[in-house]
Amino acid sequence: MNGSHRARPDRATAAATAAALLMALALAMIFFYVPTDVSEGYSQRIFYFHVPIALTTYFLFTWGAVNGARFLLSRDMSLDLKSYVPMHLGVIFGSLTLVTGSIWANIAWGTWWFWGDTQLTTFLIIFLFNCAYFMLRFSVEAGERRAIFSAVYAVLGVGLIPLSVIGVHVAQTNDLIHPITFNENGANMDGSMFLTFLVALAAMITLSVTMYLIELRGKRIDDRLRAIRRLAGGEA
Amino acid sequence: MRAYRALLRKDLLLELRGRELVPAMVVFVVGALVLVRLGLGGERLAGGTRAATGLLWVVVVFTSMLALVRSFAQEREHGIWDGLLSAPADRSAIWAARASATFLFLGVTQAVALPLFWLFFLQDGRSPSLAVLAAALALADLGVAMLGALLAGLVSNVRAREVLLPVLFLPFALPLVSVAVRMSVDSIPPQNGGLGALQGLGFLALYDTIFALLGWALFEYVVED
Repeated sequence: MNGSHRARPDRATAAATAAALLMALALAMIFFYVPTDVSEGYSQRIFYFHVPIALTTYFLFTWGAVNGARFLLSRDMSLDLKSYVPMHLGVIFGSLTLVTGSIWANIAWGTWWFWGDTQLTTFLIIFLFNCAYFMLRFSVEAGERRAIFSAVYAVLGVGLIPLSVIGVHVAQTNDLIHPITFNENGANMDGSMFLTFLVALAAMITLSVTMYLIELRGKRIDDRLRAIRRLAGGEA
Repeated sequence: MRAYRALLRKDLLLELRGRELVPAMVVFVVGALVLVRLGLGGERLAGGTRAATGLLWVVVVFTSMLALVRSFAQEREHGIWDGLLSAPADRSAIWAARASATFLFLGVTQAVALPLFWLFFLQDGRSPSLAVLAAALALADLGVAMLGALLAGLVSNVRAREVLLPVLFLPFALPLVSVAVRMSVDSIPPQNGGLGALQGLGFLALYDTIFALLGWALFEYVVED
């Protein structure tokens, strides 16, 4: 076994340890440190899960698209997996965003979904785009062609994200109730709340990086196993 | 440019001789408008002109699917791809010609759909501004045609492409439709603010620009080999 094979498990283990520690710290801060919100009460604590999960989803989509563009330019097949895995994790985090957002909406506004809200609608569009990415990917045989098609569609998403944000914002004029986390004056919250939010965000991003490293390793093992099977089948 | 002109001429001639797509799109759009009219209530129009204007855009999107699904069908069915790809021309000319042909087909279909929309849905003399609607349709068609040509190229050799193309296209139609509907509905009198026509058209122009650049840059990867 050479050095590079030993280095990968170490990176994943380090990321997993960091994620576990940060997550424990975030949970402790959310439930025992941060003060209860005056207007929304105890249930407002879902904010520290919902917003970091949503931001992590955007981070994963961007990561997937950037690696897709890098694949188109270099044709390095390892970048295909590095584009696919963040997109896949983006669906998981995206689903969690929709679920936690819906729960929060029901607690805060008394409705599970509000079409007048620009952020919910934008997120739904991007989530549908990501689901379509998988439909395309699994309609094409594994190989370079699938990698190219997936990368092209992922790069198109880079155009869709700003258009959705602008388009939905332009079209909906009654966005009055979604809490504004950040505005031109910086974070729109109290110091301890902002600190808790930052720790929760760091925990969620570290968790996504850990999941990325583990899934990437699993997919690479899958690919090698398939290659060995093909080889064994061919020789038999 | 020569390649683009030749390819566009080929697409238009094929449609003129075969009459495969535009008649089907026209019949579809008429049927869809009748369906929507009945769906909103035969005698009394539920939701009034505003609901009808929103649904017009839904019909426009679904009609454009017909054009997109049949994009590159001739090339695929008659083995024209190999000839096109081996021609010493920029491959983005194939994309530009297909997008232009689709844009023209959509324009012809909407030239039939708009008068019918007026006939079926508009009551009490209240209607969206014709200038706003026509400009929005032209810009939206351009965006749909350019993005659609890229996506059609992407799925042209994929199994279940007829199902896949609408699935790939719809997320991209959502911001387009949300702005176009708001702009059209807000142009119905009495106008009480809302989304200004210039702001809406500006967004549609931005949409077109982004997908013109992405389509032109990415089509080469889609059709290689």
